[in-house]
Parts: sequence; C-alpha cells; structure tokens
Amino acid sequence: MSDDAHNNDSHHNLMVDNKKLFMWLFLGSDCMFFGTMISTHLIYRKLYPESFDPTSLFSLELTSFSTFILLMSSFLMALAVSAMHKSDIKSFRRNTLGVIFFGLIFLACQVYEFTEFVHEGLTLKSGTFGSTFFMLTGTHGVHVAIGLFWLTCMYFYSFTGKMDPHESAIDVEVAGLYWHFVDIVWIIIFTVIYLIEFIK
Amino acid sequence: MKHSFRGLIALVSSLIAIAFLAGCDTNTRMSTFDTKGPIAEAQLDLFMVTIWVSLFIFVLVGSVYIVAMFKFRERKNDDRPLPVQSHGNPLIEIGLIGASILLLVIIAVPTLRAIWYTHDFPVTEESKLGAWYQGEGLSAAEEDKPLTIRVEGYQWWWGFAYPQLGITSANELIIPAGKAIRLELRSKDVIHSFWLPRIAGKVDLIPGRSNGMWIQAGDSIEDWQEKSGATGSDEELRAAYARYLQEEIHNYYYGQCAEYCGDSHARMLFRASVVSDDDFASWVSEIKTGHQAPDDMAWEDWYAANDESPEKLTGDINEGLQLFMSRGKCATCHAVNGNPRAVGVAGPNLTKVASRLSVAAGWLNHRAEDGSVDIEQQYANFFKWIKEPNTVKPGNLMWKANGGGIGELEELLTDDEIHKISLYLQTLK
Amino acid sequence: MSSSLTEPTAPATHDHALKPEKSNLGLMRPDHSKSVIIDWLTTVDHKKIGIMYGAMALFFLLVGGLEALIIRAQLIVPENDLVSAERYNQLFTMHGTTMIFLAIMPLNAAFFNFLVPLQIGARDVAFPRINSFSLWAFVAGALVLNFSWLMQAFSELGWFTASGPTAGMTDFVPGMGWFGYAPLTERQFTGVGTDFWIMGLQILGIASLSAAMNFIATIINMRAPGMKMMRLPVFTWMTLIVSLLIVFAFPAITIALGQLMFDRVFDTSFFQVAQGGQPILWQHLFWIFGHPEVYILVLPAMGIVSEVLPTFSKKPLFGYSIVVFSGAVIGFLGFAVWSHHMFTTGLGKVATAAFSLLTMAIAVPTGVKIFNWIGTLWGGRVRFDAPMIFSVGFIWMFMMGGFSGIMHSAAPADAQQQDSYFVIAHFHYVAIGGILLASISGLYFWLPKILGKMWAGKLSTWVAILSTVGLNVTFFPMHFLGLIGMPRRTHTYLSGFGWDSYNMVCSIGAFILGFSILLFVIDIILLMTKGKPAGNDPWDARTLEWATTSPPRSYNFARTPIIPARDALWEHKHGAENRKITFVDEGSHGIHMPSQSWMPFVASFGFIPLGLGLCLMQAGVAYMGYVTISGLVIITLGATLWAIEGPGGYHIHPKEDEI
Repeated sequence: MSDDAHNNDSHHNLMVDNKKLFMWLFLGSDCMFFGTMISTHLIYRKLYPESFDPTSLFSLELTSFSTFILLMSSFLMALAVSAMHKSDIKSFRRNTLGVIFFGLIFLACQVYEFTEFVHEGLTLKSGTFGSTFFMLTGTHGVHVAIGLFWLTCMYFYSFTGKMDPHESAIDVEVAGLYWHFVDIVWIIIFTVIYLIEFIK
Repeated sequence: MKHSFRGLIALVSSLIAIAFLAGCDTNTRMSTFDTKGPIAEAQLDLFMVTIWVSLFIFVLVGSVYIVAMFKFRERKNDDRPLPVQSHGNPLIEIGLIGASILLLVIIAVPTLRAIWYTHDFPVTEESKLGAWYQGEGLSAAEEDKPLTIRVEGYQWWWGFAYPQLGITSANELIIPAGKAIRLELRSKDVIHSFWLPRIAGKVDLIPGRSNGMWIQAGDSIEDWQEKSGATGSDEELRAAYARYLQEEIHNYYYGQCAEYCGDSHARMLFRASVVSDDDFASWVSEIKTGHQAPDDMAWEDWYAANDESPEKLTGDINEGLQLFMSRGKCATCHAVNGNPRAVGVAGPNLTKVASRLSVAAGWLNHRAEDGSVDIEQQYANFFKWIKEPNTVKPGNLMWKANGGGIGELEELLTDDEIHKISLYLQTLK
Repeated sequence: MSSSLTEPTAPATHDHALKPEKSNLGLMRPDHSKSVIIDWLTTVDHKKIGIMYGAMALFFLLVGGLEALIIRAQLIVPENDLVSAERYNQLFTMHGTTMIFLAIMPLNAAFFNFLVPLQIGARDVAFPRINSFSLWAFVAGALVLNFSWLMQAFSELGWFTASGPTAGMTDFVPGMGWFGYAPLTERQFTGVGTDFWIMGLQILGIASLSAAMNFIATIINMRAPGMKMMRLPVFTWMTLIVSLLIVFAFPAITIALGQLMFDRVFDTSFFQVAQGGQPILWQHLFWIFGHPEVYILVLPAMGIVSEVLPTFSKKPLFGYSIVVFSGAVIGFLGFAVWSHHMFTTGLGKVATAAFSLLTMAIAVPTGVKIFNWIGTLWGGRVRFDAPMIFSVGFIWMFMMGGFSGIMHSAAPADAQQQDSYFVIAHFHYVAIGGILLASISGLYFWLPKILGKMWAGKLSTWVAILSTVGLNVTFFPMHFLGLIGMPRRTHTYLSGFGWDSYNMVCSIGAFILGFSILLFVIDIILLMTKGKPAGNDPWDARTLEWATTSPPRSYNFARTPIIPARDALWEHKHGAENRKITFVDEGSHGIHMPSQSWMPFVASFGFIPLGLGLCLMQAGVAYMGYVTISGLVIITLGATLWAIEGPGGYHIHPKEDEI
C-alpha cells in the first residue's frame, strides 16, 4: 500500500505528505458533496415543513446509539493509527478489527432503521423528504461501507508480512482521516436531519 | 509583415461587421431597439449605458494596444540590447483598478434603479380595472385591481386566461394600450419563457413556481405628456394621448418562447394585439358569448337534431362541426365557448380562433398586409395544421397523445373531412 | 553546466538491459515494454498522458466542430429541413457538451500534464498512477457519452426501440441542452439520451476531480528547491487555481446529476413538480458548478497567454503578483456569481441586484489581467511568431467577449439578451476568441517542445487570419440577431423577422472558421512529418521546461535544478551571475522512475459497463443491471489490486553531461 520514498518524494515544500494532502483535498470536495445534499434536504424542509412529520418515525434512541457506536469506532481508529506509528502491528490489528466491528454495527443499525421506515411507508419515493433523506443517509452509508472495505483489506494485508510499519503509517493515517470525516459527517447529519425535527 | 497584419485583421473585420450590420434595419418584428413600452425602454436605456462604457473602454484600451504592437515591434535585423526588464508599476495598476471600478459604478447605479423599476408594479389609478374597463360583470373587489392575465405555458403553445373577466384564450394575447398589466407566469410541464421584446424583457415560466411580471404597452399619460411636451386642456391632452396610442402603440406584436422546452421549442411563438379599451371590451364580451351553432341554431337544438338524425344537418359547416365533436375528437381537448359539449382544456381554447392571425402558436401565419385575416391562407393553414401536426410541430400532442391524438386514429382523417373541419373553424370569428 | 541547458545534446543512455520486475501481486509490471500499445496504455509518464489528452481533445474539437457546422447549415435559410427538430436539438446539446467536456477540458489537461512538472522542476506528478487513471476515466466517459449516437443510429434503422422506463421515447442522444434544465430532463419528457448525458458527465467528473487533486498535491509538494510559490510560472499558478476550482465546484454537479438520476431511475422527487420537487433547485446546483466551470475553462488560457506574451516581448510579465492574485480573485468570486445565469427566473430584486453587482465586480480582476498583458508588450521587443499572433488575437477577442459579459451583468438589460443569440455571441467570443485562440497559441508555442520538431512554413498566418475572420463573421452578427429577437436553441425560424441575412452571414462565417481549423490540423500534420529538429529552446523562452531536451527525456531533468529566481531560465541566460540555475547533487544512485501499471486502465475501464449498463437499463434492455454491477466490481477490483501492487520503480543513470 505504500507509495514510495524517494522520488514521489516526501521532500515536501509543505511538510504535508503527498497522500495526506490528497486525502485532505478529497475530503474537501466530499464536504461540498455532503454539503450540497444537506442543503437540498434543508431547503425542502423549509419549503414543505408540513409535508411530513418524521418525529413519529425517528427513533432517537436507536440513532443516538448508532451515532455513539460510530464515535467509538473513530476512537478505535485513532488508536490504530497511533499503534502503527509505534510499529505495534498487533495493536494495530486489534484496533482495526474493532473499527470494522463497530462500523458493521453502525451499518446494521442503519439497515434496521431503513427497513422499519420502509415498512412504515417512508421510501425513496415518499415525496421530497423521502428523496433527500434516503439519498443523504444512503450516500453516507456507502461511504461507511467503502471505509470498511478499505480497512478490511488493510487488516488482512497486515498478515502478509509485506506491511512495513514505517512506510504504512502514512497509509493508516490517511485511512484514519477518511474514517474520522465519515464520522463527523454523520454527527452533522444526525443533528441537522434527526435532532432538528424535534426542536419545534 | 505580421506586426500590423494581425491587429489590423481583427480590427478591420470587426469594423466591416459593424458597418455591414449597423446599416441594417433594427426596426423589425421583435427588435429590442424599437421599444413600445416603458419596461423595454428602461432595459434598452440601460443597455445603451453599457454600450457607451464598453465603447469607451474599447477605444481607449484598443488604441494603447495597437500602439504597443506597432511601437515596440521587433525590426528586421534588430540588434538592440534587451529591453528593460521592468516588472510592473503598482501605481498604474491601482489607477487602472480604480478607473475600472468607477466605470462599473456608472453601469451599476442605473442597473439598480432599473431592477427596482422593472420589478415593482406601478400602482396607478388609471391601471385599475374600474378606471378603464368598459365591459360588464366586474366584481367590486376586482375594480380596484389592475388587469391580471395568467400566462400558461404548455409544450408548445400558450394559454392566456383572464380570471377577473372570466375568459380564456390562447396564443394571441389581446391587451389594452397604456395600462400596467400584471402577468402571472405558470407552466404546466417544463420551463418556458415569455418574451415579447418590444414590450418587455423575458421572464421564465417555471413549473411549481409562481413567477410574475408587469408589462405595459405604450407610455402612461403622464410619461407621454412629459416626453412629448404636449400641452393643452385636459380634453385636448386626452385626445392627443389617444391618438398617440392609436398611431404608435396599437399594433400586432410578436413574441416567442425563450427557454428551450423540447422538440418544438422553435415553433412556440405567440402574438400580442394591443388595442383600444373599446376593442378590448368588445373582444372580451365576444369571447364570453362564444359561438352559436351553425345556421344560427341554438346549441340545444343543434344537439337535439344531431342526436336524432345527424344526416339532416347538411352542409360543410355542419358536417365540419359534427366531425369536430365526434370522429375528429377535437372537443376532447379544445373548448369553444357557447358550445356546451366542447369544454376540453388540454389544448388551446378555440373561441374566435378565426379572428386570430395565426395558428399553431404563431407558426402558421395568415395576416394580410392590412392587418386583417387572409381567408385563403387561413384555410390553408388550418388544413395543414390538422392534416400534419407532426410535421408542423414535431412531438405535439394533437398528433400523438397516448392514444388520444388524431395521428393515432385507426383511419386518419381524410382530406375531405379536414376540409370540412377547416371550414367550420373559419366560422369561429 | 551553464548555457548548455539550451543546446541540444546527444541522446541519453539509460541503464542497459532494464528488465521489468514483479509487483507485490506477483505479476510482471509492464515497464520497458517492447509493445508500443502496452507502453502507452500503461504509461504513468505525465508527458505521454498529456499527449494522449491532447490528441483526444483535438479529435473531439473536430467532432464538436462538425456538429456546429451542421447546426449552422440548418440555420442558413429560414424553415430549413436539413435535420429534424429532434436531431438539431441533439446536435446543439452534444456540440456544447463535447466542446466543453471533451475538447477544452482535456486540452487544458494536456497542457497541465505536460507542462506543470517541467515548470516546477519535478520529474512527474505526485501520483503518476492516478494521473493515468484520470486519463482513462476521461476516455471511458467520452465513450459512454458518444455511444448514444450509436444507439440513435440503431433506433433510426429500426433495430432498437426503447422499452421499460423510457418506453415511447425516441431520443437516445442527449437533447436537453448542455445544462439540462429540469424538468425537461425528467423521464416524462426525455428518453435515454438524458441518462447517457448523466453517466457520461459523472464519469468525466471523476476524471477531472482525481486529476485536479493530483495537480494540487504536485504543485504544492513537488517543487524543485528554490521554486517558491511566487517564482512559479503563471501557467502553473493558473493550474493550481483551476484545480482548486474543480475540487470545490464539481461536487455540486455530481450531486445534481445524482439527484436527477434518482428521479429518473427511482422516481424520487428532487425535481419532479408533481411530487413537490423544485426545478429551480437544479438551476442553482448546476450553475454553482457551471459558473466556476467557465473559469476552469478560461484561466488556463490566460495562463498560456501569460507565458507567451513575455517570451515574445522579451520582458517579464507586467505585474506578475497582481496577475496571479487576480487569477485567485476570479476563482474565488467565480463562486459568488452563479445566478447571473438565472436573471430571468424571478429571483427577486435583492438577489438580482446582488448577483448583478458581483458579476460586475468580477470584471475588475479580468480587466486587470488585460491591462497587464498590454503592459507586458509595452516597452518590449515584440516578435510576431506564430504563438504570439494568437496570443495577441486572444487579448482582442477576449476583450470583446468581456464587453458583452458586462452587458449581461446589467440584469434588466440581460432580460432581453438572455436565451437569445446575444448570449451565444458572448460565450463564443470568450470561448473561441479567448480559449481556443489561446490554446492554439499554446500549441504553436509548446508543440516543438513536446514533439521535438519545429513548425514548417507560414500556414499559421493563414490559420490566424481565417480563424479571426471566421470568428468575427460568425459571431459578431449574433449580437444583433439576439437583440432583434431571435431566441437560442431554435432549430428553425420564420422569414419576415429580419433574421434571414444575419443567419446566412453567420453560417458562412462558421465554414470559414471550420476551414481555418482544418488548416491548423494540416499544420500540425506538417509539423509531425516535415518538421526539423527544434532544439531545446527555439523561442528563447523564460521558464524551466525549455531547459530540457525537445522532447524531454522520460525523467525530465537529469539533475534536479535549484531555482534562484522567477523566470529561472531567462535569468540563467541573460541575468546576473548569482541567478544561474545550479543542480542538486544526487549522488550516484540514479533517478528513480515510477513503474508503469495496468491497474489504472483496468479500474477506469470499469466505468464503461457501469455507465452503459445503467443507460441501457433505462432503455429497457434486459440484464443490464448485472452489467452495471460488473462495472462496479471491475472498478473495485482494479483499485484494490492497484493498492496492493505497490508503486514499484526502477532507476535510470543519465550521462554526466546530459540534461
């Protein structure tokens, strides 16, 4: 996974490694991505506040729980990054497994929640609320899934013996950045899509 | 060789183009230069400000540019030392930035004024319906309001509803001169845009959104008086103002949809006839009355006869009407006021269609030079429109509409049938 | 070590018998391949990638030009029936989409790719494999978009009819205008053409985004020692600003296209009015992307001109810092003016006023650039070689386009101009008179460096004359045409409106312009077949790329240069002693080169089944869902193998005296 040391050079002019810089840029555009979707949702909520009342459907307990799980997974991710920096592959593996496990729980909660919604009649086709809600949370879920796939690959790769902690530290850090971003986006979604409906 | 060539070519071709075309006629049917209403005039005035400012910059910057190219060109066998490697001059920069900002302010101020003017409906006594509308049936509430027309955009025709007056028409707008009129712009399918250039710039019809604009054909009496400097007694002024409206404003104006709306966007034209208050009132009343059945029969009688023994209703007009109501399925989509069984709303209202100077939303024209209907051309247009709407307006619903179109009949209408329907339509004057 | 920088040297000797090695996957890396095809498909060399972008861009320039000529032929007389309404609408849609996304953007990408690493003294971009991925993703997007023509042909021949979601629709090629306003793009109004447009643009968006991030990382991190930001060539600065614009503007259209796709595939309510959707949201999202996009298109052109003018005036760019700064301001303000495309949508007085004023504001930094370019000429020693002729023309024509832009910024005046031929005049002046002329200038300037051959003959003068005459004859009358009421996107018009002669003149002009492009293509072919060796620095230029061989070696610089000043090469040649370029002593372990790879090609190949599968699914073809998924699988597989294979690399040892 590591890009090389000498020519694609970590001799930076900005003291930020190439890969990290690339990830920051990617996250910058991803911000605009989610920002656009969140804005669309909020615009339609402002236009048609009476069209749908999600407070009866939303289970704040469940979503708070899954939010907490995702937060915890971020914590474990930070530990994994730190482990790799210290070249402690075993600790890295443990923590990464933890992230994957918690991430899967989060996804499972999402799947459960969406299934419930569909049973109750809220689908993609349910007017503007259904459209914006599912597109937003669905895209976020896909981001989580891609992250889990990435981390799983990293987890298994760490067993091949080809993972040099020194070189791979940056890769793990970059994965960490991505994971933290996905978490932060969820916090925002939770606040602005779920919680805000209850403040009326 | 190339030093002068290059700049010269650009300059010369620009000038040729300008010269060639400046001499051309700008007093054309949809010219934004030949304005006939205060909004278009305000917009043109603002445009002229931008033209002058641009011209000024063009001449100034352009001359410096050309001089630079000439004066500092490399000569043949040029062995002068390298030019001074100057990096810039902050003072000049700041000066130029300042000058640019100043020039933009010259444009910005009238822009802001014009934005407010063209948006805000001028509340005047003369524009209120009660002040000028001579027809009947106006409720007290409406007397205090200006005329409001609802413009409905469809693929690819225009509906014009006058809710205060209880009538609907299509494709040819009839409006009184000299009054501020409110337009409500509504689309029924995709985005369209209402553009009547000599009267006003365009505003879009966006489905799901209630856009509006105000228009006025001809100046109000105060503005006219100011511009023309006319003096005299009240009566004299009114008469002179009426003459002004009659000579300069009453006319047949051309408009077109100005937002791409599908296959036949290019053929979604419309017209606006600006008329006197009298003519407007009589037109409204004629639309309200609608049409009798052929041979001046009452509709109940005609339908009674038709239901019992249709073959007794003879003549091309009667047969045309029969086709209109039955095999042609026209009444499914088109309303004809007066006729209780022709109340379709999917297509244009055909009341007084024969008085219109075009058909198929302005695409097929039959206006004679003197402004009246060219009867022969009108017949030909009706015929063509009914015979091959798919050619005249590809994609349109009259031809193909999920089973309801005349192009979907098992047996298409024959030429004879179309002939009769056309003759019937020509009676709807 | 001194002026030998600009003199031709003998060919390099690389390490003898360089053999490809195995990657972490256990497969042979495609380095040092004897097959030309494999070499170019797997290359990660920014120069080769740039050449491929350029070749594709020129090809699509001709395709778009052909579409334009058919349009103009249709309009040459009123009520013409050369092409049907449906076909015409597809032609103008594809003309716009092709020119913007398949011609100008890749042409800019070609310049970025070839020049930026050289201009900053680097050996390649930060992520060579991602660079390759961007290129092939672009190819995939172009293929998906243009596959629609094939579908339309099948439909015309009666071999295929749409069924399923778009049953009854006969348009297979995008025909909703290049900015695809909802709700015309919904399933009730358009067929599978819209889906092709959506998928094509999404794929192209991914290509642009990945390339942009790559260039930002490159410019920020890979500069040679001493190459401070304010010593960068203006072209590289513009690349940086444009890349940042891409990163922050593209997401808006990605989401808008995604929402539209959901509307069409899943029947959501983003823009469907019956279910509460607001079509105007599409316009906002599109133009939040669309306006920065036009600056993405034009800033590189301004960068090119900012390189050519100083070179051929033999003096530095006047006001370098201000030119750079105004580029940044234009980029920034570009995000604040989007609704000037929407002045007629009923925004209300305040919004209209705000966008009007901001649009006027953006004229200031643009004007500043023009003043600075003229200031560069002033006091210089101007040579009117081919590149200069076009850059000089650019200033003139772009200025005219700028004036019509100022006219548009006055919103009430714009109410008459919007959606008429006046707009068409405006943007073609800035696009052809501006971007195209500058790009041609760049090609005349840099092709000798890229191909190692010098231009033969004076065909460039004819290209210049005819393109300028063609441009003006075609588009100047359109200002008037719009002002006397001809709306745009109309496949025909009636006689009697005063539009007839204008249209005929415009159409004649279009063919003159087309002919000039043909001559340009011929000139390039002559260059390639008859050009004499160009030498390192045939124009006596100012920036680092001219300090390499023509074409540059695969490793760009034998030794990394240390940069003492702006316009480093010029200072080296004509400046003080202490401003000479020196070199890093890299010892003897040689130059590390990145390995070539199949994976970017494989991963981006997956976009083709992904895109086509979805479109054909909308057309009712069976099993296309599986094709779409297989596309996703290929992309994922390619990306995963890419990550695992590792970057590899090998070493090259140039001779002592080589550049």
